[in-house]
Amino acid sequence: MTEIRLSNLGKDFASFTALADMNMTIADGEFMALLGPSGCGKSTTMNMIAGMLEPTTGSIEFDGRDVRGVPMARRGVGFVFQNYAIFTHMTVWDNLAYGLKARGTPRAEVARRVEETASLLQLSPLLKRRASGLSVNILQRLAIGRSAIVEPAIFLLDEPLSNVDAAFRAVMRTELKQLQRQFKQTMIYVTHDQLEAMTMADRIAVMDHGKLLQVGTPLDVYNNPQNTFVAGFLGSPGMNLMQGHVRQDGSSTAVDFGAHGSITVSDTAIEAAAAKSDGRVQFGFRPEAAAPSQDGALRFPVNFIERIGSRTIVHLGDPDNAIKIIVANQTELPRVGEVLSLDITKGSERFFEIESGQAVGRQSDGLH
Amino acid sequence: MNTIADITDTVQKTPADRPNDEGHLGLWLSLPAQLLVLFIAVFPILMQIYISLTDWSPLDGIGWWRAWELWNSFANYTDLAQDNRFWSALLRTLLVMVVCVPVEFLLGLGLAVLFVDEFPGRRFLYSVLLIPMMVVPAVAGYMFFMLFQSGGPINDILAFFVGQPVKIAWLSDPDLALIAVMVADIWQWTPLMFLILLAGLVGVPEDQQRAATLLGASWWRRFITIVLPRMKTIMIIALAIRVIENFKIFDTLFIMTGGGPGVATETISVYIYKVTQQELIWGYVAAIALAILITLSIVSAYAIRHVSSPEADT
Repeated sequence: MTEIRLSNLGKDFASFTALADMNMTIADGEFMALLGPSGCGKSTTMNMIAGMLEPTTGSIEFDGRDVRGVPMARRGVGFVFQNYAIFTHMTVWDNLAYGLKARGTPRAEVARRVEETASLLQLSPLLKRRASGLSVNILQRLAIGRSAIVEPAIFLLDEPLSNVDAAFRAVMRTELKQLQRQFKQTMIYVTHDQLEAMTMADRIAVMDHGKLLQVGTPLDVYNNPQNTFVAGFLGSPGMNLMQGHVRQDGSSTAVDFGAHGSITVSDTAIEAAAAKSDGRVQFGFRPEAAAPSQDGALRFPVNFIERIGSRTIVHLGDPDNAIKIIVANQTELPRVGEVLSLDITKGSERFFEIESGQAVGRQSDGLH
Repeated sequence: MNTIADITDTVQKTPADRPNDEGHLGLWLSLPAQLLVLFIAVFPILMQIYISLTDWSPLDGIGWWRAWELWNSFANYTDLAQDNRFWSALLRTLLVMVVCVPVEFLLGLGLAVLFVDEFPGRRFLYSVLLIPMMVVPAVAGYMFFMLFQSGGPINDILAFFVGQPVKIAWLSDPDLALIAVMVADIWQWTPLMFLILLAGLVGVPEDQQRAATLLGASWWRRFITIVLPRMKTIMIIALAIRVIENFKIFDTLFIMTGGGPGVATETISVYIYKVTQQELIWGYVAAIALAILITLSIVSAYAIRHVSSPEADT
């Protein structure tokens, strides 16, 4: 178990910057998810922690010890590959024993620890089997067991569920979380699937274009996105974003959306942010934070109704202000073309600067 | 005249109307090719079996189809079993194989390991390494014939190291001639091993090797436990190709020594050549050739069975 500290970490491939200026501390025993779209630098980060890549700038410390130049075999890092990289020409037993044998562990102890790990992962009946014909969930457990048996300080998992179908993924998410509780290791989990990150991680690090955008607990990142990318990336559908003008409305301040109505605000930070870009500001709200009401503050024409079973997504607005809201199935659904009036749940309004996309006003607990 | 629509109509209707015709049609269409294969492969073998059971020779003045007039049952085969020259040629062929193939394999594997990773000049050296393979074997034979002359460059190089003139008569010394022949074979065919094994080496999954490294395995352990087992199929193919090819060794050797001095480098192919061209006893040659064909088929069958078995998983 180890605390990992990344300082100003960066990686360039020729002229392409895969990662820049990453600062993050992963606590001992923490389950940290690196979340972001393809090419955001999450795998690069992980490969540098494992020692497969050398950083261009910055440093990686395990428990305060800089690991630059330490070869990957000596970092004490367990790595679960996207396709598990199981040695399919060997038996399950040989796969589990591989790391111990490589370390020259006495034969009796190898046997004892293989038995121990196998029974923990319910692999005991399969020990004599060749690893080539096993099902995906067994391969996953085997991959984790093979890394765990040498008691690595850190566990890195590179999109381990991306080859699995959706139904199975739910089962494996639960299984993985339980395995982490059993091994109590520091885990870093790379994924582009927000559901995996939200359900399993203690904290999520959202990345895009080689930059770390926000780190926080799943709920914090979801509720208080620090910029418009995080706001739109998390949630399904993501946060609604629309531009409005800040204007004085007598004694109070309002954000005006023209034909779509206006909302009153009380945070002076919003005015300050709007002053930077001709009085404009971005307003955001979650699809589930809006509800149709008789005389809501905002009005949009209904474009399209999308039924997805447990709930219904109503698409509203025009191309400039495409809004989605989620309503329960029992609700009486509006008709297409009808103008719907919406109430936004108090306290769930979020504001962002136009230029930088940074959040305004209410802030989460900060990046680090 | 049929329009295209008519033709497509017919094509679409036929299987539905006469479903059994499809199979017959396929048979008819492939029949010429099948007959050709039959003619090329099966006919010569049947002819060979037939002649191997007779005393026929072109000098007899009768066509080969009348060879039955000289029927001698299995006399050729019983003769073969007692033919010392045949058995020593066979042993010599096996000796060449047992030395050359492993040396080519190990050299090829070693080179392949060096060439897996990028290094400056890799592409250039790669092309250079493949040159011997592209040299016509007869030309390679001539090259080594020159190199191994007693006044040739190889002796000169040895002289440089020894510090005094070296006059080894490589090709006319019965003990050394076979070594010279082996050197030529190794020079020419190590590149093929290298090429095949490099392809196999590149195909070993990168992440499995990384996984092994992350588990603390040394390079050597990784090579023995991951790389080699994963290359098993390709190694068997490479070895099978070279075993079969090496068994047939002829052109390089024939130009270098002509099988001599005496019979010192006479391999099976050289022996067959001499019996065919100089002694003209074709019935006997057919028997020898057939015996070798059967031997090689067993080797190939063994290799194919290993390669296609589910055990050989990659």
